[in-house]
Amino acid sequence: MVPLTLFLKVHIRPSGIVALRSLPQSKMRTALRYVPPTTLIGAIAYPLFHVVGNRAETAYERKTFRSKAESIIELFEWVTVKTQGKPKLYGSLLKINTVYRGKAQSAVTSFPFAVLYGEGDYSMTAVYLISEETLSKSTYNLRDVERAAWGMTRLGSRESVVSVEEVTSGKTKVRDANEATTAYAFPFKGFDVSGRGTLQSIVDWRSGIGDYSKAKRVVMFYPERTVTVRGELSVAEVNGEVIVLAP
Amino acid sequence: MFLSVGVRVEANVEALNMVETAGNYGKHRRVPYLIEEDGKLKTVYVPALSGESLAHAYQEHLVKEALGLDLPVCDDCKRNEFYKSMNKVHLKKKVDPIPDDPKKIEEAIVRACVVEDVGGFLYAEKPPVRRSSAFQVSYALPVKSVALFATSEPQLHARHAQMDASSKKGNASEQMIYYVETGTALYGFTFNLDLDAIGVSAITSEPILDKSEIKGRREASLKALFRMLSSGQFGAKLSRFFPVGGITELVVAVTEHPFVVTSPIYDDYIERTERRLKVLESLGEDYLLVVADSGKVPEEALKEAMDYLGEKGAF
Repeated sequence: MVPLTLFLKVHIRPSGIVALRSLPQSKMRTALRYVPPTTLIGAIAYPLFHVVGNRAETAYERKTFRSKAESIIELFEWVTVKTQGKPKLYGSLLKINTVYRGKAQSAVTSFPFAVLYGEGDYSMTAVYLISEETLSKSTYNLRDVERAAWGMTRLGSRESVVSVEEVTSGKTKVRDANEATTAYAFPFKGFDVSGRGTLQSIVDWRSGIGDYSKAKRVVMFYPERTVTVRGELSVAEVNGEVIVLAP
Repeated sequence: MFLSVGVRVEANVEALNMVETAGNYGKHRRVPYLIEEDGKLKTVYVPALSGESLAHAYQEHLVKEALGLDLPVCDDCKRNEFYKSMNKVHLKKKVDPIPDDPKKIEEAIVRACVVEDVGGFLYAEKPPVRRSSAFQVSYALPVKSVALFATSEPQLHARHAQMDASSKKGNASEQMIYYVETGTALYGFTFNLDLDAIGVSAITSEPILDKSEIKGRREASLKALFRMLSSGQFGAKLSRFFPVGGITELVVAVTEHPFVVTSPIYDDYIERTERRLKVLESLGEDYLLVVADSGKVPEEALKEAMDYLGEKGAF
């Protein structure tokens, strides 16, 4: 008997832009086009802490410091996202003139971001697979996590305000497959993919999200609409849609 | 308690947010709006205001409201220079010697300045200390259904200087033309305020201040938002390009935990916000929703929200 896994499916509407900095970065800032799982975990962490009255953001241990969002990564077996509409990267050049301590300074910079704004319907659907065992041992219950999903306020920067339009929950079975059709992002490793999409190198959330300085990276494939994936797959079905997990 | 406000504001011939100057041409901030034409995607650039611009204005109002309520504001913030204790030079003005313990650093900053308590800060030294902003502002973008009617139009101006032979230097002209690109649009933006974050440590999760000061700071934060929206005092070049128009619609939601109204860039934002709040109600959460459209002015809606928060004991 294969155990069932809890899932949350969260439909998100952006308020036009999603500003996510690609790390590490130099003076020439770059933005991520698609939302990585680390951001999705951070986005649900803030309202989840709020629900239980926890305001802490940073945990200090001697000389190291980490994001408190790391304390909830064990809750999730998998996190992924589907993006409707292809975001466009854009950033105005900004000329900054300042007078600081009597010295005039000038610089040119840019803060690029992903634009999800246009005639079409730009939206995102995040899927969280939740470990029932970890959840039962934690201070949270499923109702808390569900309420937290409704309370996601931003993806990354404080300008990337979003609203959660729908949350559905249920149970699914993670199974093996040789082929799957998916619209959700998946790790691009050893698979044969038919269809269009974008490869994006991101921090592997399973190695921790509190400190990115030495974090492992993983290449994710973000499909445009749907793609067919072939290989030794691990898949799950959430409300009629298939997601592909890491091999 | 958590407050989320969706605002639609009509702004004609405004220069609220400028970026890039190319010679004598000042450009308005723009963002790409994607449309499909003959099966191909096409980009149209529409005027926009950044969240940073709106956040700066909000913090300026917060300075005034905080000082009006005899609450502490640091010298940098009093001058509307929001450095936010970013390094030792700025932090030393608040606490000297600087403690090694991040908890003590955060406490010193929060005690010394309402703006850094509400607006967050990043002390980028060793040890680094960060505090997320308790308020969030989206970009203000043209409402999607009328975005293609939004315009960025350069306006020609001329500066004059009377010159005689003795004051003329080189081939300087007595007239200098320059352009200011003005935007015209019906903008929509979202503003969120997490009242529970004010006066509470982002490291220990414990209150840094006593209850009465926390309530005072919450009141200042709400009044600053009220003042900013009511007065239209946000953005740049208000002295000569004050936008013609004003708030056309506004929706306010107050909930126990974070909840964001559907962005006003979508036409169904009021109806969708209402439906989403009903779901929260089914989860056992109280809420307030006030809409200012044809039957109510924005000030009435904001006051209703403040009264509700007052009844709930938020301030």
